[in-house]
Amino acid sequence: MTSERTTEQSPPPRARSPFLFWMNMTGDERKDLVQKFAALFSLVVLIIAFSLTSNAFFSLGNAMTVSLQTTSIAFLGIGVTVVILTGGIDLSVGSVLALSGTVAGLLVKAGWPVYAGMGAGVLVGTLCGIINGLVVTRLKLAPFIATLGMMMIARGVALQLTGAAPVSQLGEAFGELGNGSFFRMLEKGANGLPHMIFPGVPYPVVLMVIMAIIVAFVLRRLSIGRHIYAVGSNEEASRLAGVNVNGTKMFAYATSGFLAGITGIILMSRLVTAQPNEGVMYELDAIAAAVIGGTSLMGGVGTISGTMIGAFVIGILRNGLNMNGVSSFIQQIIIGCVIIGTVYVDHLRNRR
Amino acid sequence: MNAQSPVVEMNNIIKRFGGIHAVEDVSLNLYPGEVVGVLGHNGAGKSCLMKILSGAMGYDGGEIKIQGDAVEMSSPIDARHCGIETIYQTLALADHLNAPANLFLGRELKTRFGMLDDRKMEEETRKALRSLNPNFKNITEAVMNMSGGQRQVIAIARAIYFNARIVIMDEPTAALGPSETAMVAELIEKLRERGIGIFLISHDMDDVCELCDRIVVMKNGRKVGEHQVGEVNKDDILSLIIKGELPDNWVPRNRTTV
Ligand SMILES: Nc1ncnc2c1ncn2[C@@H]1O[C@H](COP(=O)(O)OP(=O)(O)OP(=O)(O)O)[C@@H](O)[C@H]1O
Ligand SMILES: [Mg+2]
Repeated sequence: MTSERTTEQSPPPRARSPFLFWMNMTGDERKDLVQKFAALFSLVVLIIAFSLTSNAFFSLGNAMTVSLQTTSIAFLGIGVTVVILTGGIDLSVGSVLALSGTVAGLLVKAGWPVYAGMGAGVLVGTLCGIINGLVVTRLKLAPFIATLGMMMIARGVALQLTGAAPVSQLGEAFGELGNGSFFRMLEKGANGLPHMIFPGVPYPVVLMVIMAIIVAFVLRRLSIGRHIYAVGSNEEASRLAGVNVNGTKMFAYATSGFLAGITGIILMSRLVTAQPNEGVMYELDAIAAAVIGGTSLMGGVGTISGTMIGAFVIGILRNGLNMNGVSSFIQQIIIGCVIIGTVYVDHLRNRR
Repeated sequence: MNAQSPVVEMNNIIKRFGGIHAVEDVSLNLYPGEVVGVLGHNGAGKSCLMKILSGAMGYDGGEIKIQGDAVEMSSPIDARHCGIETIYQTLALADHLNAPANLFLGRELKTRFGMLDDRKMEEETRKALRSLNPNFKNITEAVMNMSGGQRQVIAIARAIYFNARIVIMDEPTAALGPSETAMVAELIEKLRERGIGIFLISHDMDDVCELCDRIVVMKNGRKVGEHQVGEVNKDDILSLIIKGELPDNWVPRNRTTV
């Protein structure tokens, strides 16, 4: 009886309040909402489409797989977003992750404890970011050039250190970070084989959520975040207002390097091998994720939530197309079209 | 008024861009509660001189004293510590941020936990903007979507909110309508009463003659004239701006009329 009444009564306010909400918004708020939901909407459409075309797609297990596959793009995308917000770009993250991962691998191979080796790997990534920042702020080179240089340097160092060969036999502990998960529930089945009740939430996924929340918090609630947007919006005005422009940029590049370092150790941990060739072209996926999520390459516009959506759009596209047996060549074509389509929307939004 | 010591003394300031002498050996004082109009043709060096004082531009020679103390103006933060606030000709706003974020840019209000206090900033901004323009709405909109006049009001509000001792206004009324211009005139009057020294750059001769105590004219980077406002009439000022000198057989106007 009560349930009937609530279902009867709820439609009018539900139908009206979003409408009122819509009416109370200014034109730009509406456009931003449309833009945001456009990415979210395409995400939902993708999920529905793939659920219909492949019955293995819509399952908790696959959701965790997709999330795990998306972590790399998400980590890199978050870092790159912070840099792009300042009006810069970071092309080096794919190489920096390889360098960080191989340094971690080599150190563990040399007998360092896993946490120390991995910590050093992340530190190397952060250091690469700091060097990027120094080149941009002190040598005053265009971010594109500075990070293009770092992209080659970091890859070269990684290859040189390892002799271009993968470093394997790193021990089980090295694979823990990338392959472990929380709340994994197994049950002994009737036939004696373990039966999985819940696949568990992989550590990288948890870390991704934590990092996304931290960076989003920094951008929205702290003055350094406000300065990141301000510098990207109008660097000269920020300087005149007393913002430490160089410090702000340094922070952005260091954050990006740090997250590339994290990506590196997670990826190598997943493979339980340090691969100097890992992460080629990942920077482009990361930039694509940011751009699909509404980040403007001109700086000053973008959110972490948008980038996360962008990362998942790419991740789900790859996963779903794979499950449908679409070749990787066709996948590239489709993802390329998605990028152009979303940048076009971004362009429309900024043209006003 | 001149019995007091000056708040600003700029002595023999020089600024060059390669071969261009943007500011050439200019000396200028400002006293508390005084409004000094800086005039000159386009490219005369007015903005450069003011940017030097506000720490936005380095200088190649000369010294700056604030309340008698020689200071090194090497950044806008130095100027801020000296109590100098500036309304730049370009307005210098971060377009994607809203009015409160711009007003408090570089000195955000924070909560006890070090986080941005957006509510307080919005409240303060609303007060500050309403005092200049009672019709100011949509202050949480990105400033890129605001009219030129609204943007100018934000730039003005930012300069006066923080209790400056010296305010530099580089063409503050360029984009303003008549009522807003009147509001700025009123504001300048109020600031003067509080003993704040003001440099006012303007091309509007009426504004300058009405609001200023003293005028300084620049031409090709040099100071070509400095007069109490009563001594000269508009034609004299025009002559200074265009020819760089007073009309022949000029005598102080207030002396001939009396
Ligand atoms: N950043 C710069 N680099 C090179 N030259 C400059 C720079 N800024 C100003 N100048 C030159 O210095 C001179 C003085 O410029 P300034 O902006 O001070 O003129 P102004 O008197 O403010 O003119 P306006 O009335 O048009 O605002 C001009 O010749 C200008 O070309
Ligand atoms: Mg000027």
